[in-house]
Amino acid sequence: MSGEPVVYFEDVQLGEEYVSPGRTVTEADIVIFAGLSGDFNVLHTDAEHMKASLFGERIAHGLLGLSIQQGLLDRVIPGQTVGPLAAVKWKFKGPIKIGDTIHVEARVTAKKDGEQPGRGVVTVERRVVNQRGEVVQEGETDHVVGRRTV
Amino acid sequence: MARAQAERRLYFEDVQVNVPLETPGITLTEAHVALFASLTTSRPGEPATVPDLLPLCVSSGLGWRVPQPPLVVLAFMGFEWRFFKPTRVGDTIRSVSKTVAKRSMKDGGVVIEERQILNQRDEVVQSGRLTLLVAKRPQT
Repeated sequence: MSGEPVVYFEDVQLGEEYVSPGRTVTEADIVIFAGLSGDFNVLHTDAEHMKASLFGERIAHGLLGLSIQQGLLDRVIPGQTVGPLAAVKWKFKGPIKIGDTIHVEARVTAKKDGEQPGRGVVTVERRVVNQRGEVVQEGETDHVVGRRTV
Repeated sequence: MARAQAERRLYFEDVQVNVPLETPGITLTEAHVALFASLTTSRPGEPATVPDLLPLCVSSGLGWRVPQPPLVVLAFMGFEWRFFKPTRVGDTIRSVSKTVAKRSMKDGGVVIEERQILNQRDEVVQSGRLTLLVAKRPQT
């Protein structure tokens, strides 16, 4: 196991905020994600087709943006604060284009009892923001977190 | 000269409501997990555990491996998703989906898809609803 300190449900503060580092989304990211997911939609893979589209160029898969933000936020949230995902509600509000740099702004918005007595559920509201300050994705995630006192 | 027929596509008008579609399966491997981890720079979990978001990502590609032509999706608008069981390396997942609602708009139409991801034991590991903006058939 990693040597990170264990964070319990009781340690998570309502209203706690996190800001992730930035990350530039590259053409390579999109190519690898297309291969990994098997989603070769022209939106992500056909530069010529996309010249004539609403976006004017290839855009990142929405789920690639979601996956990258998960990794970015993992880097700033201490220990196991956000345990396994229980639920996601998500909106894709704008495109992430090749060369865009995104970061995540997140806040703990709810803490409630879990279905099992030793667990709680933490809700984190997240916004994925690009280099122009535009929110390109947003939503909330529910996480199952263990309690210190069972 | 004979020319290969352009790829057939399904448009908003072609979408049928409440017709279930099952995809073939895919076995999730350590290679998938390593690629996903390097792509997303996720914190490593237990080695045999598949990251929560990976089955959802892979299910979007499974939708391309069915007998019917792909839907002309203009944009993925959003989704609501729940995670019921962990997926481990070696598990084989597939998805079963159906359109539960469609709504015509000025440009294109909105399609709501219900999707379940099942494993080799037919357990539902994840499921939810996806909202897609789909193109209408071009007027000729």
